[in-house]
Amino acid sequence: MSAISRAKVFLLALFLCWAPAAFAEVAVPPLVGRVVDTTGTLSASDVAAQSQRLLDFQRRKGSQIAVLIVPTTAPETIEQYSLRAAETWKIGRKRIDDGALLVIAKNDHRLRIEVGYGLEGALTDVTARRIIDEVIVPRFKAGDFTGGVGAGLARMIGVVDGEPLPSPQPEASHGPDVDWNALSSFGLFSIFGALFVGGFLRALLGSLVGSAAAGGVVAVIVWFVAGSLVAAVVLGGLAFVVVLIADLFPTARPSGRGRYSDSSSSGWGGGGGGWSSGSSSSSSSDSGGGGGSFGGGGASGSW
Amino acid sequence: MRKFFTVLATLATLSLTNCGYNAIQTNDEQVKANWSEVVNQYQRRADLVPNLVNSVKGFAQQEQTVLIGVTQARAKVGSIQATPEVLNDPAAFQKFTQAQGELTSALQRLLVVTENYPQLKSDALFKDLMSQLEGTENRITVARNRYIKSVQDYNVTIRTFPTNLTAMTFGYKEKPNFQVANEKEISTAPKVDFNVSPTPAPAATAK
Repeated sequence: MSAISRAKVFLLALFLCWAPAAFAEVAVPPLVGRVVDTTGTLSASDVAAQSQRLLDFQRRKGSQIAVLIVPTTAPETIEQYSLRAAETWKIGRKRIDDGALLVIAKNDHRLRIEVGYGLEGALTDVTARRIIDEVIVPRFKAGDFTGGVGAGLARMIGVVDGEPLPSPQPEASHGPDVDWNALSSFGLFSIFGALFVGGFLRALLGSLVGSAAAGGVVAVIVWFVAGSLVAAVVLGGLAFVVVLIADLFPTARPSGRGRYSDSSSSGWGGGGGGWSSGSSSSSSSDSGGGGGSFGGGGASGSW
Repeated sequence: MRKFFTVLATLATLSLTNCGYNAIQTNDEQVKANWSEVVNQYQRRADLVPNLVNSVKGFAQQEQTVLIGVTQARAKVGSIQATPEVLNDPAAFQKFTQAQGELTSALQRLLVVTENYPQLKSDALFKDLMSQLEGTENRITVARNRYIKSVQDYNVTIRTFPTNLTAMTFGYKEKPNFQVANEKEISTAPKVDFNVSPTPAPAATAK
């Protein structure tokens, strides 16, 4: 693409929307499994086998490894694309950051191992490059993608296995940041409390102002506890409505749990940390791993 | 009277959250954290340089000028303190980024030179150092991007109404962002001319 036509596309994108670069980039596919292959290179049974192996590894060690195969990453480099994918998927446990991502751009003949912060000590740049150069690339050159991915993953698993990581726990301790799972139970609790407080405030201040005050009290408490203004506003508004209409529906009770039931079954949240950051902030998509973060570690290669 | 106080308390809370003092604090801390990561990764690169120079020296003794250039740029980088206070001083920030930019171009010259030494390129130690350098450069890019984004958030908060009034009251200034040093070079399209070179260029590694 020449510079002029690229500039035209860019200008067009500028006019069209508020997110100028979003159109030009290759979208990161949703995290449907541990092995995401948009090119159809691997057979369904291979994908299932590798996914199972990675799932077993996660259950044993806690660390999350995923594979992404795309046709091309143009116009981005594979480094930019794989970091974006890693940031979108958030694989690895939260605050342990033990995720790793193997990205393969098939038509670009480029591949990269993106390493989360917590694994940079084990899967160093040098180790990652050696896995790419000595294990994966020779097989890819021979056209053996299944074998290359399998052998590469085996080596990555082997390397990470040697690293002392926190053992996978079904329930990690909740940190001080916004945790919607904790909040939903706290929210229920506070709504009931709000009903009592709201009763007094309503008697003192009248129906509308009393309800608003109760909502405000709940919002302030939630704000202090959760540290999130969004949560405070949502729950405060909820409390306002509940107190206001408490007469009409004496047993009214908001359910804040429905949204989490479907996500826990897929197994990504099982390693601890859960979906908290992925599902509560509106900026990220629904699909996400455990909440691990990446800083550009790893190595790239080509075949 | 009670009603009045309730309304007053609500208004006070609302104005406190709306005037954005907390948002400025949050963004400021984010900028500092991201800046530390930038410095951290630059430090990592600087730590790699002596080993890299030594490993190249073993194979390419005659490339004295390039090696000295890298060493000098490395020394210059090491002499500049990159504390978070740099962020409030555009001149110091400029000095820091310039020194890092010089090290970047010195390293690039070194890498161009190493292309001429096949023995060096196949050396295991050199290969390892190169992948470390590549990884570090990538981390620097990532850290810089994150810094740029957080500075953007901070500056937007400081310049938009009504938080700009808060910022003015407390004396928060815009933070400097990374500039592209060779803007003019980038904006002109590179010339590709196959006819000029009298000697056949070394075969490009077509992988």
